[in-house]
Amino acid sequence: MSNKLNIVLAAGLIACGLTLVNARYQARHLFIELERLQQTSRQLDIDWAQLQLDQSTLGKNERIEQIARTNLNMTPLTPARTQYLTTGGAR
Amino acid sequence: MKRDKPFTGGRVAASKGMAFSKSPVLAVRLPDWRSRVMLIVLFAAFAALGLRALWLQGMSTQFLQKQGKSRYERTLELPATRGKIMDRNGQVLASSLPVKAVWAIPEDVLASPPEKLTELARLLEMPEAEMRKKLDSDRTFVYLKRQVEMDVIAKIDKLKINGLDTRKEYKRFYPQGEVMTHMVGFTSVEDVGQEGMELAQQKSLVGVPGSRRVIKDRLGRIVEDLGFSKAPHDGKDLTLSVDSKLQYIAFTSIKNAVEKFNAKAGAALVLDVHTGEVLALANYPTYNPNDRSKLTGEQLRNRVITDVYEPGSIIKPMTVALALETKRVTPNTVFDTGAGRIVIGGHAIRDSHPKPMLTTSGIIQKSSNVGVVKISQLIPPQEMWELYTKLGFGQAPRFGFPGPAAGRVRPWKSWRPVEYANMAFGHGLSVSLLQMARSYMIFARNGDMIPLSFVKVDEEPAGQQIISPKTAAQVRTMLESVVSPEGTASRAQVAGYRVGGKTGTAQKIVNGRYSQTSYVGSFVGIAPMSKPRFVIAVMVDDPKGAVHTGGGVAAPTFADLAANALRAVNVPPDSSITDIIIPETPLEESL
Repeated sequence: MSNKLNIVLAAGLIACGLTLVNARYQARHLFIELERLQQTSRQLDIDWAQLQLDQSTLGKNERIEQIARTNLNMTPLTPARTQYLTTGGAR
Repeated sequence: MKRDKPFTGGRVAASKGMAFSKSPVLAVRLPDWRSRVMLIVLFAAFAALGLRALWLQGMSTQFLQKQGKSRYERTLELPATRGKIMDRNGQVLASSLPVKAVWAIPEDVLASPPEKLTELARLLEMPEAEMRKKLDSDRTFVYLKRQVEMDVIAKIDKLKINGLDTRKEYKRFYPQGEVMTHMVGFTSVEDVGQEGMELAQQKSLVGVPGSRRVIKDRLGRIVEDLGFSKAPHDGKDLTLSVDSKLQYIAFTSIKNAVEKFNAKAGAALVLDVHTGEVLALANYPTYNPNDRSKLTGEQLRNRVITDVYEPGSIIKPMTVALALETKRVTPNTVFDTGAGRIVIGGHAIRDSHPKPMLTTSGIIQKSSNVGVVKISQLIPPQEMWELYTKLGFGQAPRFGFPGPAAGRVRPWKSWRPVEYANMAFGHGLSVSLLQMARSYMIFARNGDMIPLSFVKVDEEPAGQQIISPKTAAQVRTMLESVVSPEGTASRAQVAGYRVGGKTGTAQKIVNGRYSQTSYVGSFVGIAPMSKPRFVIAVMVDDPKGAVHTGGGVAAPTFADLAANALRAVNVPPDSSITDIIIPETPLEESL
């Protein structure tokens, strides 16, 4: 009787040990994956900062005005040639 | 050899001999003490082992565990970035990106092939001779170049030069360059704020690098996190009150003015009337914060905040407002400004365009010195001083911007009559453009004063009532009359909008005396008049052209700035006048 119990317990112990090994293995892999993704996240942050900077550099008012004046032949607006529309239609 | 008595008992080795073990020769007689010594020695050895175990386990555990950990744990540096600076619409004004510093162990680097060194010098954009000079050193660590961008680093890595290594650091980029620099400021190579908001907000912008402990496997992958030994904190992002568009408009206006009027410098400031936010702060000459190799003090100077000047006639509405507020005059009270000359304490004060009679409104419109002196004579000096103090003159403003000038207003008890008279039209006291613009907030708002802010604010701050709304409205009407063909600031008119303001011309003090050739022309205005939105202040320092007065140089700059600013923020026009009439000989204010 006690012999059978010992065998069952030993088998259970071995099974527990194996699942522990497996769990540790999984945990390490997931951890490595997490690290990799965090690294990606940091890189994306940097890219985001870079893109914001590019946007600000390219969207500089100075540059826009320059392009509008020279490439697009635009001229500043003057009130003399502006028609203002009031809300509520003509009165 | 024969023994008398044979032994009995015991083993018999030979039948005829004695028992072997009984042989007295062989009988070992051990002294009793030897076994006891042995016992003690053994016991002592066990005790020593026990003590040793106790020592290792109990006393030096920590040391040993630390030694053990250091053999498999690694500490990783976790860098923290400095916060970004953005304008009120979220456009980035300053941002840090990772770059690398290139350093070398000179001995090893010099041993590599010369063509590689030539290539390295080319990539680092420095003459090879200079690089070799840096390497010619006894030290084992030499920075070759700092803040090298990542794409260059990638090329340098490909050269595979022995003894060359890199260190991670951050570089600050300022996409708006010279337009925004007096507002934003800049940082040093070590990421420490040096000027402007970078300096003012250093504490919250700066990031605190941390570190964490990990266990790495054979392939260098992190397999276990042992937690932070110090958590990193990125710097906080900062949203300024400034509006990039308005800033560009202000900068362009002031730049054009300095070039057109051949002036030494110029400055402009745009304030939001409702929130007290600084929407634009422009200075010219300026500098590029991304390349500060040829920086001079003149370029660095923030004239709006750190420079003081005598405001001149700009201060007249304050004197008038106080007289109106205390009911000593009404807008229609008539003053005899006679021959445009008044003598106080033996000193004559003159008007450049004498008018015999002027109302209070007329005194402001024509900027009459005599008139305003007459009004000031109705007000005790102490009351005047109290108003100046309430307006913040003579005190360094605390709006979270570094290096504000206090200006100078002497205590009223020391004012001589002629000095008091001079002060009524803005001489004998000094203010910064920021203080002057802020004081005009009482007219633009309904007589109350709010604190200014360089960072974005979400709700309107509580104001401190200084004059009544009625007085503020009366002064606004007078200010609008100044910007008319009959006033001193006819050039400040803006097509399609009602604007108001006051010109100021002050002689600069050169070698302790008023100069006859150097002036500061300034203008502070409110736009649009129907529903004030901006207070705009413009200062042109030392214009050397045909015109040098505030009405001549600062007023048209204001008009240019205001017209573009109102259009940029979609303020509907409140006037149908689109043709601007500027008289051939516009009225100039008196000095």
